[in-house]
Amino acid sequence: MSGNMAFAIELFGQGVANGLMYSLVALGFVLIYKATDAINFAQGEFVMIAGIVISALASAAYEFPLWLALFAGLIFMVVFNIALERVVLRPLIGRPIVAIIMATIGLAFILRGIGPMVFGAAPRGLKLPIEDFPIIIGPFFFTPIQLLGAGISIIFLVIFGWFFLKTRKGIAMRAVADSHQVSGAMGINVERYFALAWVMAGIVAMLGGVLWGSASGVDTQLALVGLKVFPVVILGGLDSIIGVIVGGIIIGVAEALAAGFIDPYVGGGTKDFTPYVLMIIMLMIRPYGLLGRKLIERI
Amino acid sequence: MYYRESGYYKTDYKSDMSLYPLPISRFAAFSLLVLFFLAAPVVMNEYYLTLLSLVAIATVGALGLNILLGYAGQLSIGHAAFMSVGAYTAANLATKFDLPFLITLPAGGLMAAAIGIVVGVPSLRIKGVYLAIATLAAQFIIEWIINHSPEISGGAQASIEVPRPTLLGEKLESPVELYYFLLIVAVIAVIATQNLIRSRIGRAFVAIRDQDIAAEIIGISVFKYKLYAFAISSFYAGVTGVLYTYYLGIASYEQFQLGVSIDYLAMVIIGGLGSILGSVFGAFFISLLPIAIRLFMESVGSIFVEPDVLAQSISQLRQILFGVLIIVFLIVEPDGLNRLWINIRNYFRVWPFSH
Amino acid sequence: MKFFTALGAAALAAGALATQASAKDVTIGLMCDRTGPTSVTGTALCPGYHDYVNLYNTQKKIGECKIVAHEIDHEYKVPAAVEAYQTYKSENAVLISPYGTPMVYALVQKMAEDKLPGTSAGFGTALAGNGEAYPYMFPIAASYYSQAAAAVKFAKDKLGGSLKGKKIAYIYYDNPAGTEGIPVLEKLQPKEGYELRTFAVPAPGVEMGPQILDITRRYRADFVISHLFGRAPSVSLKEFKRAGFPLDKIVGFVWAGSEGDIKAAGGNEFAAGYNTMQFAGVGQDYPVIQQIKAMYKAEGKPDPDAMQYTVYYNRGVFQAAVHIAAIENAIKAKGSCDVTGEQVRDGFYQIKDFTLGGLLPPLQITKKDHEGGGWVRIFQVTKDGYKPVTDWYRDYRPEISNLLIEEIEKAKKK
Repeated sequence: MSGNMAFAIELFGQGVANGLMYSLVALGFVLIYKATDAINFAQGEFVMIAGIVISALASAAYEFPLWLALFAGLIFMVVFNIALERVVLRPLIGRPIVAIIMATIGLAFILRGIGPMVFGAAPRGLKLPIEDFPIIIGPFFFTPIQLLGAGISIIFLVIFGWFFLKTRKGIAMRAVADSHQVSGAMGINVERYFALAWVMAGIVAMLGGVLWGSASGVDTQLALVGLKVFPVVILGGLDSIIGVIVGGIIIGVAEALAAGFIDPYVGGGTKDFTPYVLMIIMLMIRPYGLLGRKLIERI
Repeated sequence: MYYRESGYYKTDYKSDMSLYPLPISRFAAFSLLVLFFLAAPVVMNEYYLTLLSLVAIATVGALGLNILLGYAGQLSIGHAAFMSVGAYTAANLATKFDLPFLITLPAGGLMAAAIGIVVGVPSLRIKGVYLAIATLAAQFIIEWIINHSPEISGGAQASIEVPRPTLLGEKLESPVELYYFLLIVAVIAVIATQNLIRSRIGRAFVAIRDQDIAAEIIGISVFKYKLYAFAISSFYAGVTGVLYTYYLGIASYEQFQLGVSIDYLAMVIIGGLGSILGSVFGAFFISLLPIAIRLFMESVGSIFVEPDVLAQSISQLRQILFGVLIIVFLIVEPDGLNRLWINIRNYFRVWPFSH
Repeated sequence: MKFFTALGAAALAAGALATQASAKDVTIGLMCDRTGPTSVTGTALCPGYHDYVNLYNTQKKIGECKIVAHEIDHEYKVPAAVEAYQTYKSENAVLISPYGTPMVYALVQKMAEDKLPGTSAGFGTALAGNGEAYPYMFPIAASYYSQAAAAVKFAKDKLGGSLKGKKIAYIYYDNPAGTEGIPVLEKLQPKEGYELRTFAVPAPGVEMGPQILDITRRYRADFVISHLFGRAPSVSLKEFKRAGFPLDKIVGFVWAGSEGDIKAAGGNEFAAGYNTMQFAGVGQDYPVIQQIKAMYKAEGKPDPDAMQYTVYYNRGVFQAAVHIAAIENAIKAKGSCDVTGEQVRDGFYQIKDFTLGGLLPPLQITKKDHEGGGWVRIFQVTKDGYKPVTDWYRDYRPEISNLLIEEIEKAKKK
């Protein structure tokens, strides 16, 4: 039993670290929802395209040094998302949610086509200047990329949390999300804040691309990380940054424990299934999530 | 010139309520039936019949999703999962109990409808994006359950081989026979949908879509009708799954994954939300688009690029173009192909005296 | 909306153009997935296929017949594959090369009805190797049953000749294909006396820390048999390495060890020691690959990118070579280019001593055994490529054929 206990603790540590990396991807989603009320089904593809651009530039074909590749990736994501907001999403402001969901799905198709077309379809590695060896802290067991990922996730979650709560721009952004019309009437340049939200999502996606790309390699399959976003944001609340952290950790821990302790009894992988079950339960009892805002509807 | 609506007076209730009130639309419906039932099998070779068969199947599925999304306003990203429910129900009934398709087809639909009701229950509390994500979860959970229950999935490779459908002791085997089989089901689906939309249920759907709180206030039981919408839509999806199963001779869970749900969403959105004709247009468009792009690239593309590069770029360009088309339609023509058709019709309605 | 009209018109025109073919053409229907979930495979395999076809056409046409491989990308979607199949049929193709397990299933019945042979190297169930049940489908490569048996044999040799009391972990992608190795491992367990535990990796398999942690820290496996697809193999390598598990104590099935997987995991240096099972030779040390290189050189072109991915590229060459060998046999038997699907099927049975200098295993396709013998070869990842660590081999054939009979009986009962 004690062996199992120790193993459970190790899994818990793994779950927290992975969960924080999910949070980072989910953060991009929440930023966009919080500011523009749009649902981005292409968040996974954002992560993927960032990963592809950076790993391709850093590969033998272009031979950029890593810092330059990272910087180029960042610039690319910023420019790309500004263009995206301008061309695709701005015309859809005020349209039903299904239109925006479908547009981002269309966008996902485009990204999955463009990435391999420009840089080749073969998978690449993304090597960060860290070694791969086990790190054992007390009863916990980590790998360097997990610690790095968890660290970066926390830093950015804190930065964005502070931004929304304390800065003038952040408050303006929340106002925009609340009501486009009222905030426009109050003198807020709504469209500029929309663009800003997409840019921030692009930056987060670039970080996600680097971390997940480094953890699992880069090709179009990297976009599948995006599917983890939904359980995380539903659990935490679609518009809550703290909720993203909480949701990410819960999902990470739940799936780690499911893989370790439920799988052996059901003869199948429950790891990616558990988050969705948790999510359904959450939707039934508290649809707006642990920390999300409850919406009151009027006619 | 040819499309005239004036001058026909409805003198009794029967004619006022008929499905095709105008002679022109009766004529159009009739000639379409003649075209697809009599002309198509004669003039078309097997290849084009296959395309039409696939379109017929897609039409049923698109109608189902359009009822849910276009008429009742409930977004579902799990349409393909209901297809797999129908497919496996029919496959199990057909192989284990040797039942004919006249039983397995509705049985597959009903089973999918039952599961659809379960999935629809959260729609009482949640809507919009939350519901979309809940149906996405349903997609994964149904997939997982089928994949992990050998009793349902048939064990080896989670696929069940199904014998060809038989009618009155006759095996439907040749492409023409299968085409008729699918076409008849598709036509029934279209007519059934037309009637459904005109019924009390259909009007309740539209009221809920437009403003669900207001609908509740005027006495529509929102929960009941939302469940109806899920059940009916899933029934169509289940039937679609059964049709795929019989057409391909196999039920396999890999045929009904998330990508298929998205294809169907694209059909109803590009075709036109809340339009029956639009569903048919969408089914045609999305089914034939990849083929059209491939043929186009194979002949025209070779002028611009090397053949060995071409094979790779065809695939990627097709994907890009698919995405671009979805976005262009959403921005430029939100009401989809159906709107284009109406514009064309309205133009000819007054042609040549357009002013 | 003029754009759409133009597109439609162009497509129609293109359709008219595309149907020109000469009487000397022998058409093969080649399905690929270059954009779907398994695009990593398709983008290397299909170029290999085309290159071999081109090489064959430039080198040694027999009786002036020209092989035409018409590729259609079905994106791993079944309706698209059915459409592709009908296209091939309307072009009078004599052989179909379906790609992907569900597509193989969807087409196997039609192909038997239309008497068109096809191959499914690496797809479908082990049961499909039974030529009597599936007369027109030829897996031509080791099934997952054969692979599992070969993996046990390899583990035994690696762990000093006996598996008594050793712990074997089977980590698999959680889909029907992934679970197919389990019955074999369970069947051989009493005979070899090893301990066995299975670990499922559900789709999409981009993260599997808990499972690897379980294998390395709780179960403490002596040997790992890995049956993963897609992104999962590279992730598993990273995680094993990070957990400090020796990679030379892992053997991966045929879809878990391509250059792409190694690259994505962090390169050869990183993955050195990992054992991969193959049904076609790996690397470029084969005369046929050198000939393809020479062909590109003669045209003044650089080698195609896909060529570096020798695991899948060579499989494309392998498939093309077997297909063309069967067609060649049919043409020889008939004496003219217009062979039928039925004749090509018979051509498969006449393939003998055809190994292309070691790229192919010693296939023996018989009416009963469409698997061709179930040969595999283990290649170990080294610092700069792969090195073979076994010859072509197979093992536990009686146990596997018993198991096949049992499973077919079981399937019949259902």
